[in-house]
Amino acid sequence: MAEIALSTAPAHLRHGSNSGQPLTRRDGLLKVTGAARFAADHHPPGLLHAVIAASTIARGRVVSLDLAAAMAHPGVVAVMTPAHKPPLAADPDAKTNPFMFRLDLLQNDRVRYAGQPIAVVIAETLEAATEGAALLAPRYQREPARVGFEDATVFTPPAVGVGSPAEVVVGDVAAELAAARLRIEATYETPAQYHNPIEPHAIVAAWDGEKLSVDTPSQGLAMARARIAGLFGIPAENIEIRSPFLGGGFGCKGMLSGPQVLGIMAARLVGWPVKLVLRREQMFGPVGHRAPSRQTLRLGAEAGGRLRALDHHTLTASSTFDDFFEPASNASHTLYASPALRSAHEAVRLDTGTPLFMRAPGEATGSIALESAIDEMAAACAMDPLAFRLENYAEVEPISGKPFSSKALRECYARGAERFGWTARPLAPGAMRDEAGLLVGWGVGTATFPALMFQGQARAVIRADGTGLIECGAQDMGQGAWTALAQIGADGLGLDLEQVEFRAGSSDLPDAGIAGGSAHTATAGMAIHAAGADAIGRLAALATGDERSALFGAGNAGVIARAGRLYRRDDETRSERYADILARAGLFEIDGRGSGAADPVALARYAMHAHGAVFAEVKIDPEFGQIRVSRLVGAFAAGRLVNPRLVRSQYYGGMIWGVSFALHERAVVDPRSGRVMNANLAEYRVPVNADVPSLEAILVEEEDPHVNALGIKGVGEIAITGSAGAIANAIWHATGRRLRRFPVTLEQVAGVAG
Amino acid sequence: MGATVRFLLGEAEREIALADPTRTVLDYLRTDERRTGTKEGCAEGDCGACTVLLGEARDGAMRYRAVNACIAFAATLDGKQLLSVEDLAAADGTPHPVQRAMVAQHASQCGFCTPGFVMALAAFRLAGAAPTRAAIDDALAGNLCRCTGYRPIIDAARAACADPAPDPLRANESATLARLQALAPRTSLAIVRDGRRFLAPRSIAELAALCEEFPEATRLAGGTDVGLAVTKALQDPACVIALGAVCGLDAIEESAHTITIGATATYSDAAPVIARHYPDFGELIRRIGSVQVRNAATLGGNIVNASPIGDTMPALLALDARLILRRGSAVRELPLAGFYRGYRETVLAPGEFLERVVLPKPAPGQIFRAYKLSKRFDQDISAVCAAFALTLEAGRVSGFGAGFGGLAATPARAPAIEAAVLGRRWDEATLAAAGEAFDASFTPLSDMRASGAYRRLAGRNLLRKLYLETAPSGSGRARTRILEPAP
Repeated sequence: MAEIALSTAPAHLRHGSNSGQPLTRRDGLLKVTGAARFAADHHPPGLLHAVIAASTIARGRVVSLDLAAAMAHPGVVAVMTPAHKPPLAADPDAKTNPFMFRLDLLQNDRVRYAGQPIAVVIAETLEAATEGAALLAPRYQREPARVGFEDATVFTPPAVGVGSPAEVVVGDVAAELAAARLRIEATYETPAQYHNPIEPHAIVAAWDGEKLSVDTPSQGLAMARARIAGLFGIPAENIEIRSPFLGGGFGCKGMLSGPQVLGIMAARLVGWPVKLVLRREQMFGPVGHRAPSRQTLRLGAEAGGRLRALDHHTLTASSTFDDFFEPASNASHTLYASPALRSAHEAVRLDTGTPLFMRAPGEATGSIALESAIDEMAAACAMDPLAFRLENYAEVEPISGKPFSSKALRECYARGAERFGWTARPLAPGAMRDEAGLLVGWGVGTATFPALMFQGQARAVIRADGTGLIECGAQDMGQGAWTALAQIGADGLGLDLEQVEFRAGSSDLPDAGIAGGSAHTATAGMAIHAAGADAIGRLAALATGDERSALFGAGNAGVIARAGRLYRRDDETRSERYADILARAGLFEIDGRGSGAADPVALARYAMHAHGAVFAEVKIDPEFGQIRVSRLVGAFAAGRLVNPRLVRSQYYGGMIWGVSFALHERAVVDPRSGRVMNANLAEYRVPVNADVPSLEAILVEEEDPHVNALGIKGVGEIAITGSAGAIANAIWHATGRRLRRFPVTLEQVAGVAG
Repeated sequence: MGATVRFLLGEAEREIALADPTRTVLDYLRTDERRTGTKEGCAEGDCGACTVLLGEARDGAMRYRAVNACIAFAATLDGKQLLSVEDLAAADGTPHPVQRAMVAQHASQCGFCTPGFVMALAAFRLAGAAPTRAAIDDALAGNLCRCTGYRPIIDAARAACADPAPDPLRANESATLARLQALAPRTSLAIVRDGRRFLAPRSIAELAALCEEFPEATRLAGGTDVGLAVTKALQDPACVIALGAVCGLDAIEESAHTITIGATATYSDAAPVIARHYPDFGELIRRIGSVQVRNAATLGGNIVNASPIGDTMPALLALDARLILRRGSAVRELPLAGFYRGYRETVLAPGEFLERVVLPKPAPGQIFRAYKLSKRFDQDISAVCAAFALTLEAGRVSGFGAGFGGLAATPARAPAIEAAVLGRRWDEATLAAAGEAFDASFTPLSDMRASGAYRRLAGRNLLRKLYLETAPSGSGRARTRILEPAP
């Protein structure tokens, strides 16, 4: 695997620990100099270029392709079509586990969404392949596209998210609603959103007989390798996938996508290395998206603000050929105490690519509706929205009745509110103007995200010279695995960070679990922690069993590993260097293995979530509907923080995704063609610098003795939740107008037809 | 005539023969030079991951500007210096102050957009402007980051500007100047491959002759639109006439009563001059595209493109700008208001080209206001754009020009509004009359950016805003800067 030359960490204060240090990222210099090599930067000898021809219709059949024209174009080597492609060992439409999604690999002439690959042109240059793809001039037999909720039959999916029941009920919602003094019912809509990492999916694939070498961004190397092995019928060991850096993932690089497999097929077909890079507009089809939703919330409360019922219904959409149902209503499972609680989901099937996990899947979509509805009920009760939330603070997880493993949400509310100056907020909307005459509004939203863990492995090595090595097939899509996991690894081996070599980003390394679900640091971190402990244990056994060692006989008292030495726990004057122990034993190195996974006993006993509170200020020009988020203060509690600097960066990024959710992101689908009309970064708006308000993230301390031995919860997704709702609520507070269709538009804020 | 493109890549001289006359700078860097630090994120000039610096000798010094490599043609490098992220470090490998600040401030996460940010910030630091939040936002408006929430990048911008270290890009300046001097093109460039032509004349006369010889040719100014036609619409123009090397066509001249802007003057060059006389016009230009776009794009290109949502036309129309067109040696002058025939259609005759734009300087007492309404503050296409030139004499309107964009098939003046207010007192009654005239003048359509209803409301409200800002009884211009960035 490629060597990744990470920066050595600058000198820092160590109090016997690397974890907890706010180190700047170790891959920073590589990234600012352009030396960090992303997948598309690879250019092996003999490389050919592949370009996807994508369907311009959303439903129907490809009737013809002008293969002769494409093949006649100078430089074109091959055109891969349903009739001309390498054989696959598995049906791309087979689905044997919930993480396996059906892929479009030219299996037939059927078109099931706009942007679906219908052919791949392979050529000597990118220009020739691009031109060849254009020359295919496909003709279609077109069927009407189903693009909106009204176009298809509503049904109840068997499960939502990953194996969650579509409906969960606690208590008697109808009875509690009927008995409540105050009731509200409101419907909120969220659009389809596309992940749009700045790095489009790219793959460089090279076959050597039955061996395959791949450079491609992946949030889940082991799963990707298994998928390729299954599709091509080769042993997983024959495949190496390198993904040291992902140019952003956000979920769309979690599972191997169809276009990535097409790159591998193209290389197989022509017998040369092939590079396939998606064009930006091709990111709006075959690589997943966040499904649209129409959410109806019904809340009942006592006059004093105590909730009696919370009913969260989501209508969402999946593709016609696969199952992923945005579990938006589940956002209501954990936050607000209510004697009656129901989450329910229904769905339609549309002619789109299959929606997938997108940063805070379910939670982000559900949170903006839930936090809006909670705000509406607070207003109905004439209560301050923060006071209303505190009135309904859940001391146990509402959906399960389990205690929380830890929950510092009260502190988040308090710290955030204090920093924001929330107590000065007038209760009535439309009551604040700034010196320029703009309407000003303040809103709050609660953030939450489950503390998940997957399964991962790691290997830790202590070498003869006393330095360490950590091997873990972790994936860094920007969150900072190269830094944070190395910090955990160094602690596990009792070494300084500079003494530890850290290897990640390759499928040849131990499976570290997927980088998703905000679970990677906990999962891979625990595996690394355990591997370090295993290696130290073996080293200690060598020393304590050897009468020549100063540690001989420490046995039951045990040893402590610190700064490259083992110390007797009961007598720290007796110690020995790692290198000396290995040398005496005549060993070149000693290694340990570890794995990380959630503790089933703790899972059964506790509800585990990170929490936070986000406060937003917006300014609005009522004459033009222009809106600006001027301040965002978030306070988050997520267990122990391995690297506060990396964590803060995750919170900032998440909060801006909240801004984007509330105000900007939306795929506009042409109802006639079923195509995304704004499939570019000019019109699919994401925030620019000037959209970023004064931004503050407060790190609230939280010790969690149950979640895992390291006390780590995830931080990558939580900050979207709460933020989007806080902005929506601030808009109401500024204008008195409750906007329920997101993203908010100029028209809505100005109060004219959209 | 030269058939190869000669330029400096970093400090190394390059002479390349382009098999594809519209090969982009980005493809050239990544494929031919294997310089992969420069990234492709969108190939449409929106994300800025491909930002590079173009160096040119100006007034005895090197001037560096950030541009998007993805929509710039390699053929336009002739006689220039190209710097990519690999060129920033000092000769001994010490990272550039911007690179150091980006690391120290933790300003990258995934790192894919990072080289583009680094280059944009390097240009910003070289330009030496005060690193206010507004200036930083402006410098980075053309760089999208999906990970960091931008705040650490803004911190890095401040830190880099505060770093007193000399800029390594200035270390070799005199040598670079000498090298550029040595390879400066003395003849026109004419690349002819497989029947496709890329022609870069060096004089106006030569340009005029080529335009007559190839009346169907695609004319290339800044290329921010033509580049898109190639990278996104996959067009292979048979003949491109590049205007960038024509001597004097980018001249900006002022007389006692006029500002004359050559057709190839970039926004970046024209804006300071325009802003001196019409600050609001300068502000409007600041919100067109991004720095990278404005460093390449030209006022002339915006006019000739004839887009109904081109942002400068409302201002130019309100100010009664005049165009000087040339065909061969024949020159004619006409008001911009007479230039558009319909949606994306102009009155340019075959072989005729725009040579200069003439703006009057403000008349005594004239007030000029320009407004751009868009969903996103920066780098967004206008929902509605409007500009007004108002002259008051003793409380009466003695002069009024109004230009609107986004309301009709072409950018349009509004003669009915002008007639409704001219000669009248600038009061509520006149404003009401102007509003009625506005409603009679426009029936805006609904599209992805805004609904017709919104456009109608906003257009009328812009008239009111103008009134509130300018009427003797009005409340001043309090709300004009509503979307000023956060500190």
